Amino acid sequence: MPVANSTRFTFVLIGLISVLSSPVGAVDFDTEIMPILTRSGCNAGSCHGAAAGRGGFKLSLLGGDPAADYEEIVIARKGRRVNLARVSESLILAKTNGEYAHEGRVRIPPGSESEKRMTQWIKTGANRSGKPRILTHLELQPTETIVESVGTRIPLKAVARFDHGDPVDVTDWTVWTVEDPSSLVLDLNSHSVEIRRRGQQILLARYLDRVQAIRITVPLNDQRVDLSKQPRANFIDDEIITSWNRLRLPPSPRCDDATYLRRVALDLTGTLPTPERIEQFQKDQRPFKRERLVDELLSSEQFTTYFTYRLATLLRIRPQPNDAIGAKIFHEWIRDQLKSKRPFDQIAFELLTATGDTHKIGPANFSRQSGDARNQAERVSLAFLGIRLQCANCHNHPLDRWTQDDYHGLAAVFARLDRGTIVRTTTRGGVTNPRTGEPAVPRIPGSKYLDEQSDTRVEFSLWATSPENPFFAKAMVNRIWKMLMGRGLVDPVDDLRDTNPATHPKLLDRLANDFSTNGFQIRRTLKLIATSEAYTLSTKTIPGNRADRIFYSHFIPRSIEAEVLVDAISHVTGVDERLGSTPPGTRAIELTDVATPVPALDLLGRCARAASCDGDDAGEGLPAKLHLLNGPIINQKISSPKGRLHLLVQEGKTNQEIVTEFYLRALGRSPTKEETAYWNKTLDQHGDGRTEVLEDFLWSLLNTPEFIMNR
Amino acid sequence: MSNNLFSTARRDFLRIGSLGALGLTLGHRSQIQAAHRQTRAKSCILIWLDGGPSHLETFDLKPDAPREVRGPFQSITTKTPGITISELLPRTAQLTNSLAIIRSVTSPLGEHGIANHYLLTGYKPSPAIDYPSLGSVTAHMRTDQQTLPRYIAIPEAKSTAGAGFLGTAYQPFTTGGDPAKPQFAVRDLDFYPGVDSARMDRRKSFLQQLDHFHKNSESDPTLAAAYRLATTPEAKSAFKISDEPDTIRQRYGSRTIGQSCLLARRLVERGVPFVMVQNTGWDTHDGLVLRLKEGYSGAKIGVGLIPTFDLAFAALIGDLKDRGLLDETLVIAMGEFGRTPKLNAVGGRDHWPRVFSVAMAGGGIRGGQVYGSSDRVGESPATDPVTPADLARTIYTLLGIDPSHELRTSDGRPIQVNQGGTVIQGLLA
Repeated sequence: MPVANSTRFTFVLIGLISVLSSPVGAVDFDTEIMPILTRSGCNAGSCHGAAAGRGGFKLSLLGGDPAADYEEIVIARKGRRVNLARVSESLILAKTNGEYAHEGRVRIPPGSESEKRMTQWIKTGANRSGKPRILTHLELQPTETIVESVGTRIPLKAVARFDHGDPVDVTDWTVWTVEDPSSLVLDLNSHSVEIRRRGQQILLARYLDRVQAIRITVPLNDQRVDLSKQPRANFIDDEIITSWNRLRLPPSPRCDDATYLRRVALDLTGTLPTPERIEQFQKDQRPFKRERLVDELLSSEQFTTYFTYRLATLLRIRPQPNDAIGAKIFHEWIRDQLKSKRPFDQIAFELLTATGDTHKIGPANFSRQSGDARNQAERVSLAFLGIRLQCANCHNHPLDRWTQDDYHGLAAVFARLDRGTIVRTTTRGGVTNPRTGEPAVPRIPGSKYLDEQSDTRVEFSLWATSPENPFFAKAMVNRIWKMLMGRGLVDPVDDLRDTNPATHPKLLDRLANDFSTNGFQIRRTLKLIATSEAYTLSTKTIPGNRADRIFYSHFIPRSIEAEVLVDAISHVTGVDERLGSTPPGTRAIELTDVATPVPALDLLGRCARAASCDGDDAGEGLPAKLHLLNGPIINQKISSPKGRLHLLVQEGKTNQEIVTEFYLRALGRSPTKEETAYWNKTLDQHGDGRTEVLEDFLWSLLNTPEFIMNR
Repeated sequence: MSNNLFSTARRDFLRIGSLGALGLTLGHRSQIQAAHRQTRAKSCILIWLDGGPSHLETFDLKPDAPREVRGPFQSITTKTPGITISELLPRTAQLTNSLAIIRSVTSPLGEHGIANHYLLTGYKPSPAIDYPSLGSVTAHMRTDQQTLPRYIAIPEAKSTAGAGFLGTAYQPFTTGGDPAKPQFAVRDLDFYPGVDSARMDRRKSFLQQLDHFHKNSESDPTLAAAYRLATTPEAKSAFKISDEPDTIRQRYGSRTIGQSCLLARRLVERGVPFVMVQNTGWDTHDGLVLRLKEGYSGAKIGVGLIPTFDLAFAALIGDLKDRGLLDETLVIAMGEFGRTPKLNAVGGRDHWPRVFSVAMAGGGIRGGQVYGSSDRVGESPATDPVTPADLARTIYTLLGIDPSHELRTSDGRPIQVNQGGTVIQGLLA
């Protein structure tokens, strides 16, 4: 056919040009051909990189396995995909340049550099080096950059250095992506990126097995902000102020003492302060009073109770069917660990390795509740590594470096366990790796295979809790940070990966380092954050920082857990919520059985602990709001004759006294002058039905965001 | 209401930085609106027959099969020549001109939890992704309803009928209670006893005043929505089936499923895009005659699962038709699988996903047809097999939702509304 002939002629020509224009010498499959496949999308998860491949042709996801891909391209279907005799008929060329029909259409346009390089590689024998060069450094331009204005265009460049040979410009062979295409616009022809929006933007570069995030910042405001007098309590403030400087982001002022007390009491003890404590704190004139308050809270009984609840939620402690004892013992054990200030690495190690009778040995319940080896691998990676390994069950993680070998290898670590009432190790049991169809080899994800003869759980756990593990300390301090600051430095907190970079990478490193070099003490990290100036900022925004949600220029209000909210309503109204058949006076945060029947907790969104609740907000959703508006949780308590409101009325308290009492209990502060005036006027207008009006006042107080949120 | 607390949050559009899956909202709206123009159905009522209804006793009887397959019930002719269904569905038989019966639905999943996940989401369950249900996706995509919740379940919903990765805002609003009980009222919708509307107004003014003192506080769209619902009598009245005339109430039957269907009609009439009626008890491992026909032993008039369904289903379709709503309301009756062709030793049938039936009407469905068929004994599809993914894609298409629209998980992963399904063209009007 004439058309085909002319195309072929063009081909020969291109081939000639490519020989002339390319450096003479062999093309390296691993470092020169593989990046073409990745850049052209051939090995994407939606194409030939899918677990089953596509159209009978299967590549490793994002080029994770060059040896297998070489086999698939060159050896399998010998002569079809790569045709040494008639180069241009090689399917790898003809399918991708549009010559032959291809469901994925043209991927490597005729005449492109990629096509030239592929052609030359085939012409020179389509070889793969027995000792491929290894990438040692990837130098990217720009590095972290601040540019003055929107509209600026920044050139992109990537230079690869290998273990041998000269550095190579690989700009064209790097996959450049942006997190937000409306803020950063890539132009791959001119190798540049244009900044379209103020703020901190993320550019990602992927070459071979490297993924690097580059921050590009356009300050949020034209005017510089003078932060030289901004107070600093510790290194947290150094890092936070650095980011404000970069973004020209003015911080809100400090919050007042009353707000701070309520905030920190909720965060550290899940308990609202009493009016007496508020008064005492406000009168305290001594220096370092906030620091002393934090110390006092951290050594309180309520701290232990609340953090037992928080760790139990993280570890998803729930009773087994018809067996509530294990969960109870598990809670008690967590409580003891917190009380005795046991280092968190030791807590984790024991959770990972404990065996024995789950009715006697608390931490053994962690394995029992995991159900099976794969489930345990997922729980362990979420809770202690902060990574979502579960994607790698069925295919290599599309956004991260986790492979099926990592997933099933970690499952294999936990395969030889009998998870009955008594947890014991066994000699049988294994996990099949669906990639190979063979038993999975126990493996530390991303690191190394373990000797199957040894106790792999102990080996893994030693690694997991050691400084060699880059995730353990980071995952925990990131969670603690979120508890107090409302957002993870990496968010979601269970999704640490190169392609989801921290907003403040250095701060995360410093917190993790501080945690691991000072005995893994949760209280220490909590205190660092709670006493930082960053934590004490007001929620009120000021001009210039209103739109900020991620740089902590003002405190982010957030909902509190369903259990804490129910306890808080009881605290204010003086009426306990009935919690199943637990003794009166039991607090919701003390429940050891998350299935204890309490409709209000369900409606307000307690974590059922069946799955991770890391991303959930309690008190959200229509049923929750309707329950707060119309349900008994507030209404029954404010109208109870034995409740605080009715007792105060009976005691003959004035409206102003009652208003003040409830402001203190619910909002942790006295009413302002304006508020006092309003309530005096409004409440006095209603001669009859005074109690009803007061009930309505209290109802509105308990429905304000100021009460429902920690702020 | 101009007050901050009750206004819509704009903060999503104002956030700085680019972390997370932001900036997606704006582009999608236009797509939704574009899809909307072709909408056939404004609303969907899904009657979820929980437990797995027997296809061999409802819509796919095998009178010529061997005795151990045939089962206890006869087939009857219907309004549509050539279509026969169970003798326990005489009212439905009069409406087959509006009905498409699919007899070739097939799935590999035979355990309740994973099977109802597949039917309710169109996706097989995955350990990595918590898929949203048909109703939650509809609530997410259809923003036209403002006061009433966009996905309502009567009276409860399975967790597999939930919002999955779309998050709590798209969970079904469950009515709770039993619509057949005289004292039925939706939980927390009505003012607490002792609180009249004068007090509610006062509470609102207090709340607005408190918000006014804090000009800077975040507005809470859900609180505003809850308040709007609780204080909009016209919206709340949607839930008041006691307002229906007795003749209408009787038409649907006095049982829970009937009154639930009546409530569903009231809701779609007021613009709720997705209502699920959950009817339990279809896991009939024994006593087909007792469970499916009689309801209690020795019943003279059968009040078992099928007769009560027949009454409710026929009333719903007839009532929607009478009101001119059937063309814009897609009605679906289905469960998670069918039942084994062979009767078991205790006169029941066990789980059978390989072939089962689904009935659809209204909302762009071409009535008066049977689509697909099962083999001689109702064991496998014989023609035109339909997967739950195909069903989901067809339902979304009928509702004007682009099935290839990409949703985002909380970690930013794009997931299409439907994947792997094909629209069943033969069903469409």
